[in-house]
Amino acid sequence: MVDESGSAFDAVEQGPKASGDPTGTPRDSDGDPSGHPTVTALQSWFGSTVLHHEVQAGDQHVVFVDAARNREVLKWLRDDPEQRYDLLADVTAVDYGGGKPIQIVYQLWSVGHKRALRVKCELPLDGLTIDSVVQLWSTANWLEREVYDLFGVEFTGHPDLRRILMPQNYAEGHPLRKDFPLRGRFSRAEQTRRALSQDYHDDYTPESLEVGGAPGLAPPEPNRSTETAEDKP
Amino acid sequence: MGLTDGESGDHLSLAEVDALGQAEAREGGLLGFGSPTFLTTKVDFVVNWARRNSLWPMPFGTACCAIEMMASAASNFDLARFGMERMAFSPRQADVLICAGRVPYKLAPVLRRIWDQMMQPKWCVSMGACASSGGVFDVYSMVQGIDTIIPVDVYIPGCPPRPEGLIYGLMMIQEKIRGESLSDHYGLRAEDPALVGRPRAGTEEVEALAGPFGNSTQQERLSSLAQTTRPERSEDLLP
Repeated sequence: MVDESGSAFDAVEQGPKASGDPTGTPRDSDGDPSGHPTVTALQSWFGSTVLHHEVQAGDQHVVFVDAARNREVLKWLRDDPEQRYDLLADVTAVDYGGGKPIQIVYQLWSVGHKRALRVKCELPLDGLTIDSVVQLWSTANWLEREVYDLFGVEFTGHPDLRRILMPQNYAEGHPLRKDFPLRGRFSRAEQTRRALSQDYHDDYTPESLEVGGAPGLAPPEPNRSTETAEDKP
Repeated sequence: MGLTDGESGDHLSLAEVDALGQAEAREGGLLGFGSPTFLTTKVDFVVNWARRNSLWPMPFGTACCAIEMMASAASNFDLARFGMERMAFSPRQADVLICAGRVPYKLAPVLRRIWDQMMQPKWCVSMGACASSGGVFDVYSMVQGIDTIIPVDVYIPGCPPRPEGLIYGLMMIQEKIRGESLSDHYGLRAEDPALVGRPRAGTEEVEALAGPFGNSTQQERLSSLAQTTRPERSEDLLP
């Protein structure tokens, strides 16, 4: 795996870098948009907002969209009667390392038209902010929380943007980023100490704590949810 | 749970309990702390016989090891032959904690709390490579051996161990119980109440136990060379 030009762990040692080169992300050559009616409609409707189009794995059409207008494009894809992408199968992210931008991936499926489409938005490492699509698909709630937890992408407009997989008091950053060391940033003893000092109030919203009414679970202190703010690198 | 001073209600440390026991032994107390008497040896025999033949496991199954644990309890291997008649899914009614599978850091306080909730006397089996050492998961999210969290009596190697391995490990627990004595409060595993919810191992020991080893991407240290303060393991008394 290691060649003369550098190993895959270079990005780990170099740490995060701001990306000024959006073309650094690997891309296939432009695909033939005529094979997918949605792609041609997108290109004629939104013009330069559609940055790039490619075909992966034979028939998976991928559309790169301007990250600033992601909600507008996805809302049109959901509501246009010719498109009707009513199922958001997945929201995830890809980090190619080396300071390249992080890609946010929306995997869409139209139940009525039996059509799949993958929409990608690229975010530079120094501007990891994108509009939330929870208002369009409720299922994006936990999926965007997962992307926030593991990649550190801020979703503006998300109703409850907290960690979902890692402990709420986790302060080592966002583990799926390429610049994250494999064993974390703290020593094992410190990780063990922090793990055993978790507070399970943090795993619940104040509303669910009130609804649950579990004995011994007092409502959390008001400033408790602000603890995650210091986790951002 | 824990020894309390009748007058002040304060918890006694283990050293103070030890001093009390030695004083009682000098006075020829009934239990004879530190010096076995005819009575304690016979009581030991009966108590240990009862304990080792009615061990109730508390299954803490988190991964594929739990499948083998279920197979051990099923009719082919029939764990009930050894007195593990009932899988106690409540820690208060259990004697042996079987930690089967990998434990992430997010689950570490749950494991520690279940161990704290179990009544004395209690024992712990670390089943499989992941529970014992972290296994191949030498990553940011995984506890590198549950002996950094709770005390462990028997480590069962394997990925996962076969049911015979688990049964063998539980029989080693039975052999360990056979050697216990009421006059030895360390053998009865007296606990310091101040340590509830805390890591079992100290900082240096956690670092030594969790050091990268063979299958790791960065082979800086060898865990086999790590010096720990763990007491010696019970001898394998089985023939």
